[in-house]
Amino acid sequence: MPLGCTAEWTNVLQNRFFFSADRRTHLPRDEIQDERLGKTEQGRGRSGGVLGSEKWRGRWIERWFRSPNGSNSVFPHQWQWRIPVSAAIEPSSPPSPSLSSVSTANSLPAFLSSPAMDMAIDSAPNGDASPAAAPAAQAAPTSTARLAQLAESLKLEHQLVRVPLEHLKKTIRFDYRLAEREFTAVLSSVAEAADSLDSSSVDETLKQLSSLVTRLQGLKRKLEEGGKLENLQVQRCRARLEHLRSVADADKLDDWKDARLNRILVDYLLRMSYYDSAQKLAETGNIQELVDLDVFIEAKRVIESLRNKDVVPALIWCAENKARLKKSKSKLEFQLRLQEFIELVRANEHMKAIFYARRYLAPWAATNMKEMQRVVTTLAFRHNTECSVYKVLFEPTQWDYLVEQFKQEFCRLFGMTNEPLLNIYLQAGLTALKTPLCYKEACSKEDPLSQEGFRKLAEPLPFSKFHHSKLVCYISKKLMDHENPPLVLPNGHVYSTKALEEMAQQNDGKITCPRTGEVCNFNELVKAFIS
Amino acid sequence: MELDLIQDAFDRVSKKQKLSSSKTQQLVRQIEHEIEQAIMKMQSTENATSCPELKQILADLKNKLNEFSPMNQLETLQKDLNITLGKYVKVTEKSFNPDISKAYRNVDFDPHIVNQIIASHFYRQGLFDLGDCFISEANEPEAAALKTPFLEMYGILESMRRRNLELALNWASSHSEWLAQNGSNLELKLHQLQFVEILQNDSVQNALSYVRKHLAPNASAHKVEIPKLMGCLVWSGKLHKSPYADLLSPNHWEKLADEFMQQFCSCLGQSYQSPLSIAIAAGIHGLPTLLKLESVMAVKKQEWQAMKQLPVPIDLSKDFQFHSIFVCPVLREQGSDENPPMLMPCGHVLSKQSIVKLSKSSTRPFKCPYCPLEASVAQCRQLHF
Repeated sequence: MPLGCTAEWTNVLQNRFFFSADRRTHLPRDEIQDERLGKTEQGRGRSGGVLGSEKWRGRWIERWFRSPNGSNSVFPHQWQWRIPVSAAIEPSSPPSPSLSSVSTANSLPAFLSSPAMDMAIDSAPNGDASPAAAPAAQAAPTSTARLAQLAESLKLEHQLVRVPLEHLKKTIRFDYRLAEREFTAVLSSVAEAADSLDSSSVDETLKQLSSLVTRLQGLKRKLEEGGKLENLQVQRCRARLEHLRSVADADKLDDWKDARLNRILVDYLLRMSYYDSAQKLAETGNIQELVDLDVFIEAKRVIESLRNKDVVPALIWCAENKARLKKSKSKLEFQLRLQEFIELVRANEHMKAIFYARRYLAPWAATNMKEMQRVVTTLAFRHNTECSVYKVLFEPTQWDYLVEQFKQEFCRLFGMTNEPLLNIYLQAGLTALKTPLCYKEACSKEDPLSQEGFRKLAEPLPFSKFHHSKLVCYISKKLMDHENPPLVLPNGHVYSTKALEEMAQQNDGKITCPRTGEVCNFNELVKAFIS
Repeated sequence: MELDLIQDAFDRVSKKQKLSSSKTQQLVRQIEHEIEQAIMKMQSTENATSCPELKQILADLKNKLNEFSPMNQLETLQKDLNITLGKYVKVTEKSFNPDISKAYRNVDFDPHIVNQIIASHFYRQGLFDLGDCFISEANEPEAAALKTPFLEMYGILESMRRRNLELALNWASSHSEWLAQNGSNLELKLHQLQFVEILQNDSVQNALSYVRKHLAPNASAHKVEIPKLMGCLVWSGKLHKSPYADLLSPNHWEKLADEFMQQFCSCLGQSYQSPLSIAIAAGIHGLPTLLKLESVMAVKKQEWQAMKQLPVPIDLSKDFQFHSIFVCPVLREQGSDENPPMLMPCGHVLSKQSIVKLSKSSTRPFKCPYCPLEASVAQCRQLHF
């Protein structure tokens, strides 16, 4: 300890060494000490004062973005005297405008690579510059944090980008196969005509050749249409990438967030097959380019036919996507065939059923013997059998199961998540918001978990955890942190400084506790220090 | 987030796709051209006599087609395109999180509850048609009851937008006790705005009678505002030059509309913002942490499902703080009824259990871990947040 160290200084230094286990959420402790020290000149230059807290914020920033000279060892207990970033950047004249408007991604790198980041501590900035630097320094960490948080949330948008791409790939594959087929046909036709000229007449050959020409013209038309469709899909991919980039635009951020919520809702509506609502919502929110309505139109046909107990469109779909379903080892086709078999048995057409099984179920026998045996045994029963094992196979719920299986396969092929986006985000949100206080009567109505529906949904989910206290003032509903510290009344209730000051101003220095009604004077209040 | 990389990869894909598409069409035209040429040649030569000539023409055609082998060209184009597409897919898989449903717990979200939440969200946003369409598609007729209060609210907001405060005033007067209880002076603000409107568009006499009718009864409560309004009377017709010009600004209307919505919603016992949007926003904040947790923890599915409390905190911004959470710095546990926070004379706060532990079961005075001040258990008092 330096000589002449007062008790206050001891406090300051001791406070320094008591740092939180989670260093990342390092809260500035100095502001408590600032008031104790009364913001002396000495305090300002060395550790306390307004700058003291800047130092910790600056340290936080430095820790996460390497300083230009490469050294990165910034731990709270290592005493490296660096000027906080804000003071380093501010010029002798008014603070740089780039700091106060740090909102676009472009300005952020410039801010970080400022060469003035590590100046010696001796050049302590003068008093009048620091208040201006203080709000700018506060703006810098919050917008860095905000950009980091936005970048993290963009990483979750895989589905947005992948689905139009898969659709595009599908169209390209289709056009390629079409062209391939036609070319092979034409070439082999020409070869055949060349070889068989002796046997057929000239007119026939001419007719054949002109038919080839017509065929090629037909192909040209189809390829043109296919090309247009591909262009549309490329455009859609591009529009989505553009949309992701536009998150950096701070003015439209609220609109972007609303669009995101609408996207999530449209995804849920489409998966639940509520197509009209999805269409309406997409139009209202103007997000037609960002949602996959057309992809789901394909699925709609198949799902509706399955609901009408018709497997044919589903089988066609399986045939179209055979290669990819095989790669993901899907059993969908097998299950569709099984269901058709059961339907034949239900209609008592046993011979047909047996032939069907020989033709379509046998190829799958090697891998799915048990299941096949179980289903084929239904031949021995009638459709209204009471035997539980086989009764379930005749239930209409089997069709619902098929619909679910189809939806899963469909979503997997297109690169969508297994669960609707709404469920994923809602679960994560409910877990993050869930505390034991939410289930009490006094829960604030602003909390979603005060609503009955949300409470029920959140029941099986885990509670969230906190490493640091977060206190909310009962009167003003604002956070009680270092700018707005908590004050304790004689009866033990705690409210924020700002709310109590306001109350005292309007009531001649008297405070009335809103919850118990007790009255006391403003100067009877005690400050509480919560980390 | 390497959006630039992704953009570049995608531009390459788009270029290749255009190239492939145009080249394929070119191939088609070439083949067509060759065949047409052959046809013309065959038609121009004498029929039947020059059989070997015809044969020659066809053989030429066949050879030519084989020469520039459209099949091979087509295949190469497709291969190139597939390679570029594959690279793009790899880039997206690296930059984005390919499977965000890893952290999903297999709990059943009752679809009825979810549908009701969605319906009430639509009604709250004022999208009544959409809400009705959704309810009919989702087969949830009970949810239609959620519509009525919001219909009323939007009706009033619509009239306020047209600068007609009558409905709003009616609502405010019918709920005046509730507003007074919650410390809101919405009614006063509505009257003020109406007064300024009357003053602008009508006569001074009407404005004066308006004040007499509506504001005079509670004059004692509005000691600050009434003199201001009286002052406005002097400047009637030239209000924009008066010191009270700010009363004319249009953002009063917007602010009042917002405040009205807030009071209306809290009177209903609902939050100001749609709870669905708050929950989803919290989810977007918290999902990256959960995904990281899931990948780091490497626990079995069973344990993941049966978790009672998350092992790591999720850092939500202060918009999502609805409750006071006290966490004892010593025990790192949340405060509860059995373990309340206690204030020590030095001003620091610890939980009851940690104080008892530090003082060795309430016997001796102990030192605060933050500052060297000593305290005994009796001097600590319980806090209520």
